[in-house]
Amino acid sequence: MIAYKFLDTDGVAPFTGFRWPVDEWVETGGVELCRDGVHACRARDLPIWMGRELWEIELDGQVVERDRKVVAARGRLLRRIPEWNEELLEAFGRFCSRRTREQVGFLPVLAGYVVDVDRFVAQGRFPIAGFAAARAAELRDGPDGYERERLLQAAWLAERLFREESSAFVPE
Amino acid sequence: MRLERELACKEVVELVTAYLDDALEPTDRERFEEHLVFCDGCDGYLEQMRLTIQATGRLDTGRLPAGLEERLLEAFRGWRAP
Repeated sequence: MIAYKFLDTDGVAPFTGFRWPVDEWVETGGVELCRDGVHACRARDLPIWMGRELWEIELDGQVVERDRKVVAARGRLLRRIPEWNEELLEAFGRFCSRRTREQVGFLPVLAGYVVDVDRFVAQGRFPIAGFAAARAAELRDGPDGYERERLLQAAWLAERLFREESSAFVPE
Repeated sequence: MRLERELACKEVVELVTAYLDDALEPTDRERFEEHLVFCDGCDGYLEQMRLTIQATGRLDTGRLPAGLEERLLEAFRGWRAP
């Protein structure tokens, strides 16, 4: 299975500090969410786990798919995805600003989110811009609104990163 | 320990020790890390805690003045005493 993995600068995993080698299989002791195994994400999970570097990773052995990630017994980092760059993130931020304005800008009780998202984008804090946009949608439409907004964000990213038609994971 | 889907920063701060001790349930650990992705403040706090633990973990008890170690241990033992 081909999946994606966010890493800090120089290929270091943000939560474990593990420095990933390129094109080398990394074996683990087993597959257990957040404890053991190679953790990666699908295109639909991208906005949840945004980091500095985005890599393509091949997963093998036992692979377990969860709501927001995939965990596998072994993995091999294939290549860094160069399209994940500042230009893309800035455009993503503008997308979040626009969506928030469209979704809640006309609601006085939620319009403050428009200001918040705009500020996060201006500060270059794109992960929280995505979160705040989804949170605004949740406050307007309930929990489904959060999930839907995250999927829309994922679809937006996937189309630009992989030229992928992402309508498959975006609800009507 | 089981958490609601969305963590507030206050909850994250309270759970930092459990996170570093690997004492959170996997799903809660996932929520915790999800919060860290977008919250620079909590991410920074976690890093400070890691550095503090690294630094204090190297303290040499042999350098404590005489009697201080016993007084500290006594204080810790009585931590929950009224």
